[in-house]
Amino acid sequence: MTATDPILDIAELGVWFGGLAAVSDLSLSVARGSVTSVIGPNGAGKSTLFNLISGAVAANSGRVVFEGNDVTGWPAQRINRAGLARSFQITNLFPDLEVAENLRLAAQVLEPAGRGLFPPRRSRRALAKMRSLLERFGLEAKAEELAGYLSHGEQRRLEVAMTLASEPRLLLLDEPTQGMSHGDTRDTAALIRELSSELTVLLIEHDIDLVMDLSDWIVVMHQGRKLAEGPPEVVHADPAVRRAYFGEADSHA
Amino acid sequence: MSQALEYFQFVLAPQMLNGLTIGVAVVLVAIGLSVIFGLLDVVNMAHGEFYALGAYISTALYALGVDFWFALLLAPLIMLPIGYAIERGLIQRVYQHEQRHILTLLLTVGLSIVLQDAFDLVFGPNTLRPDNPIPGVTEFFGIYIPNYRLFLLGAGAVVVTGTWLVIFRTRLGAMIRAAAFDRDMSASLGVPVLRVYAGTFAFGVALAGLAGVLLAPIYSVFPTMGHDFVLLAFTAVIVGGIGSFQGAVIAGLLLTQIQAISSLFISPHWTEPLVFGIMVAVLVVRPQGLFAWVGRG
Amino acid sequence: MSDSVESRPGAAAGRKRPGGPFRHVGARGVAGIFLVAALVFAAVGAAAGNVFYLRLGTEALILSGLAMSVDLLLGYTGLLSLGQAMFFGLGAYASAVLLRDYHTGFWGALVLTELLVVPVAVVAGAIAIRARGVYFILITFGLAQVIGKVIYNTRWLGGSDGMVGIPVVHAPFGIFRLDLGNPVSFFLLVLAIVAVLYVALGYLMNTPFGRTLGAIRSNESRVRYLGFDPWRYKLAAYVLAGMLAAFSGALYPMLRGFVSPELMSFSMSADAVIMVILGGVGTLIGPIYGSVILIGLKTLISGWTEHHQIAIGIIFMLAVIFMPRGLIGLVARRASRVVRPEADQ
Repeated sequence: MTATDPILDIAELGVWFGGLAAVSDLSLSVARGSVTSVIGPNGAGKSTLFNLISGAVAANSGRVVFEGNDVTGWPAQRINRAGLARSFQITNLFPDLEVAENLRLAAQVLEPAGRGLFPPRRSRRALAKMRSLLERFGLEAKAEELAGYLSHGEQRRLEVAMTLASEPRLLLLDEPTQGMSHGDTRDTAALIRELSSELTVLLIEHDIDLVMDLSDWIVVMHQGRKLAEGPPEVVHADPAVRRAYFGEADSHA
Repeated sequence: MSQALEYFQFVLAPQMLNGLTIGVAVVLVAIGLSVIFGLLDVVNMAHGEFYALGAYISTALYALGVDFWFALLLAPLIMLPIGYAIERGLIQRVYQHEQRHILTLLLTVGLSIVLQDAFDLVFGPNTLRPDNPIPGVTEFFGIYIPNYRLFLLGAGAVVVTGTWLVIFRTRLGAMIRAAAFDRDMSASLGVPVLRVYAGTFAFGVALAGLAGVLLAPIYSVFPTMGHDFVLLAFTAVIVGGIGSFQGAVIAGLLLTQIQAISSLFISPHWTEPLVFGIMVAVLVVRPQGLFAWVGRG
Repeated sequence: MSDSVESRPGAAAGRKRPGGPFRHVGARGVAGIFLVAALVFAAVGAAAGNVFYLRLGTEALILSGLAMSVDLLLGYTGLLSLGQAMFFGLGAYASAVLLRDYHTGFWGALVLTELLVVPVAVVAGAIAIRARGVYFILITFGLAQVIGKVIYNTRWLGGSDGMVGIPVVHAPFGIFRLDLGNPVSFFLLVLAIVAVLYVALGYLMNTPFGRTLGAIRSNESRVRYLGFDPWRYKLAAYVLAGMLAAFSGALYPMLRGFVSPELMSFSMSADAVIMVILGGVGTLIGPIYGSVILIGLKTLISGWTEHHQIAIGIIFMLAVIFMPRGLIGLVARRASRVVRPEADQ
């Protein structure tokens, strides 16, 4: 697919570990403002793809272009500052810090570098962002709690909230509803829908109903390669995809 | 040509032999340290003190009239229950803690402080020097090798080979390696993991103690002997790869050779910085060491 | 995850710790208590004319600077340095040479020592920080061993005997000057210095910079995805800690009139860590208490036996097993790190 103005353009991306190709020859364009879902069985390379895009892992081949900039090989913090943020499949917070502090840290990048040596209450933008995220994600009551003590659903919410703190233009969400209750999942879906009007979302998910409901575009991965892609109905009807995945994908990971 | 040969005979070979002598001890100490590190995930900062403990126990045995051969056998055997008790009673107390890596390290630091001062208390601060049990020299193609050192090399080779056989060719060794690779799985398969840990620790420190007994007649026994030794042992472990048996052996021999030969060209004071520099270089270029351990503890 | 002894989210008692008798006090109050106690100590010492204990107290305060530098790394950044005494010793030697051979006086010695130490700390940090976890610890250990050996073998620095004959100096403060030969004056000066360092470090650790260090301690990998390069922060922390340790070290020859390779020994580095653990990691006031406690214990036990290290080692091991959060961790409550914006709420 060639979007008219792709926010993310990936060309022949590949990486291998210990002789095994985790991702190979993957090309993908993500349209600005869309919700694109990446699906596939466990081990298909979805999280590795995210790792490659976000700078967690260096690619062996191929290119990642974000908003016109070639970010291949950039360190993770640089990619983050360029406007790309990601969440993690396994909750990756600061467990011994308070929820509000987790968010403030995530928002601190909005402040100019010199602010780092001033008293923390001078970082007004970061604090405003922290407050607004606490409200938006319903975590105000838990602001002073240590993040490690939150329930799983609350932690996943915090995880997503932290990703938004840096005001990214592209959001990579790695199984945001993993382990969530039905209610929480519904809320997260609503949130993603809301977010898609402000920014672009790239989503890894196992919940097929969610994926079908939310996505403008679906990419199916298999053994490190792109198997199929297209709008939900097309992918859903694709016999190769059906054969390989929808049986498996219905059971939650 | 004959000048080169003479150089070899009278300068290089003796130095290489010195290196080999220390090398055997470093290998024995490093194997224990590496296995403890790799299996238990414990950085035993007191490992040098166990090396010293072996030497001290042997001097005590000699004072009691025990002869060298018995002491050689007895000292490590005495150290087994000591090591087991320390691991089981002390180190395992912090295993459940989230910060177990730092805590176990700090514990062994405390242990090394206690042991070092205990040597001073029990045996006094002076240097002790056991008699050479195998005096005499053998000639080998024009190179004169003290008999004791020949024995040391042989004994070292035997012990290292024996240890290798136990770890890689016996059921006990398989249990140890399994526990290293996957603790929970091994436990569910009936491997008594905590006892394996304590036993491995005991074995590791007994090896260090054995090295102490072997080296005592050559390099003497004094309270800080372990402390001086431990950096070299850690370097061998890191260069060889944590948890790797062959790594400990090869790196141990290699580093001591480098140290010995380089002291011919640079002041001996600079050989330790050189060795340390190698450790840093390895950590930068190939942090997993020459041979990385397959499983983690 | 991190290597700090502070984080324990799984512990039921961790969150809203009841604390002991000082539960309403918090770490700042505990610091205030220390200050008052130290002033009382000075007054009593002055009145009694007891030079030995005043100098011992001064030494404890000087060492608390070294201990704070260990805590800066361990409690706030999650890095255990087993070689911090290297900087202390380097500071001490630099100061000694400057005072004795170059007659730079008080300020000259302090300022030049710091300038000299910065490049060393940057190079050492660049080497050490590349290594993660245990390897960092071993590199700091090894570095201190190696540098210590080099100093030990350097003839013009006094070799194994160290350097003696460091002159007593005055500390000029514009209108007045303190005679550092006077034990009360020196004690009060160092107390003031430690107080200033404590406040300054406390401020710094509360800034976004310091809090990022805390984030690194808590979950280093995540910090990258917040747009920060952990390496730079760790290096900054390491250099700062080195400068702090060296600064403290620079005061040592002014107190004792000599320096020796002992000052950069593993024993010294271990003592610093012991002070932090006993006092309380990640509190800054903890290491100060820890220093006093350790020096006090050593002095007390040496009264009975020469082998005080056995007792210290045992006490340390017991502390690691039973109170890894140290005395302050036991006694004062953990303050919330949440930032309350100034205007509202």
